[in-house]
Amino acid sequence: MQSVSKFLTSRWGPILTGIVIGILAPLLVKFGNPGNMGICVACFSRDIAGALGFHRAATVQYIRPEIIGFVFGSLAAALLFREFKPRGGSSPLIRFLLGMFAIIGALVFLGCPWRAYLRLSGGDWNAIPGILGLFAGIGLGILFLKRGFSLGRSRAASPAAGWVMPAFALLLLILLVTAPLLGRDAEGNPVGPIFFSEKGPGSQHASLLLALGVGLVVGFLAQRSRFCTVGALRDVVLLRDGHLFYGVLALVLTAFVTNLALGQFNPGFEAQPVAHTNALWNFGGMVLAGLAFTLAGGCPGRQVFLSGEGDADATLFVFGMIAGAGVAHTFSLAASPAGPGANSAAAVIAGLVILTILGLTMREKASA
Amino acid sequence: MSRGIVLFHTTTSALRGEKALKKAGFLVKLIPTPRELSSDCGFVIEFHDLPLNQLQAALNEAGLEFEIHFLP
Repeated sequence: MQSVSKFLTSRWGPILTGIVIGILAPLLVKFGNPGNMGICVACFSRDIAGALGFHRAATVQYIRPEIIGFVFGSLAAALLFREFKPRGGSSPLIRFLLGMFAIIGALVFLGCPWRAYLRLSGGDWNAIPGILGLFAGIGLGILFLKRGFSLGRSRAASPAAGWVMPAFALLLLILLVTAPLLGRDAEGNPVGPIFFSEKGPGSQHASLLLALGVGLVVGFLAQRSRFCTVGALRDVVLLRDGHLFYGVLALVLTAFVTNLALGQFNPGFEAQPVAHTNALWNFGGMVLAGLAFTLAGGCPGRQVFLSGEGDADATLFVFGMIAGAGVAHTFSLAASPAGPGANSAAAVIAGLVILTILGLTMREKASA
Repeated sequence: MSRGIVLFHTTTSALRGEKALKKAGFLVKLIPTPRELSSDCGFVIEFHDLPLNQLQAALNEAGLEFEIHFLP
């Protein structure tokens, strides 16, 4: 066990994690998940928001077991290696907002950074402007970091704060398995939530046990190795350090090979699964998302793993993503395969203005 | 050769610490936080064989909170 841990915490850890994700994510597509959506933390948060009734987009409602697995996998690794540390207090409200804007941007593109790379490896060339946008957003975030942007330090918190996310994940699992109808219509008949899509991406999913199992494995590995798709680029730019970035490269290459082997590599721009061809807003959406992730210190996957190891600030970011998904689909901010939503452009521009104000004004003061 | 690490509470503090130490003429390097020290993915400053008291003085002058660790 110790030698496995040592390997995972070495420079090889992120690469191994990337390879495992690159194999498992296309397999999840093979076994039922939507195309190029083996894993997508943004899409899955959006599906969870829909299942809970926070939005009524009937095609994207499902409690995704992968996310539950991420939390428990990370929790298990953190408990096993004594890294479960309840902590919080680093601008929680702002982190909630960053989570909201991150998912609003990601849903204009239709994917988190993980899915952007998975779409690329499946031949969806619309991912290219998205990834360029992600790089631009991260670059902007780095400029703010260099100017002194900071959310402030976190401090040790009571254990209760650290257990909120694992408890929430357990609740989601119970709701997924029991699928209760908690609402009542005008006549008093039971209706959702919980909602599960009958058609569209929300209805496409691998079996519960498989999805949960993949989530657990990836959550465990990622907690140990610190795999992060946003930190990867930040470290290359700021530190000239590529160890996280090699993990991302490993993910793209392995997923490409796995997709080829499974007959899931379909190169082109048109008719890609759960994607649109508007390059401008594929780019713009990911600029907003990339900036939000960088200001918050990690990609959405990483935020979920941190929330599993007791980070209450990351938990608030994840809750912000779920709330933001509700807003995105209720106010027509999210895109669909037909193209950007009616208010996608306005939402991205407003988000960039607000995050720029935060980036310029939230600066760390010297304590002396 | 003794390898030291300066830990900060935030990424931004680490960037400021690096600036302050380089300005004071120290040869230091910003690196990702070593995995064995923390699961946090921020930055730390690495140094080799530097006068500890002068290093601390420069960081104190910059008004930064920090911790110094020595690694084998």
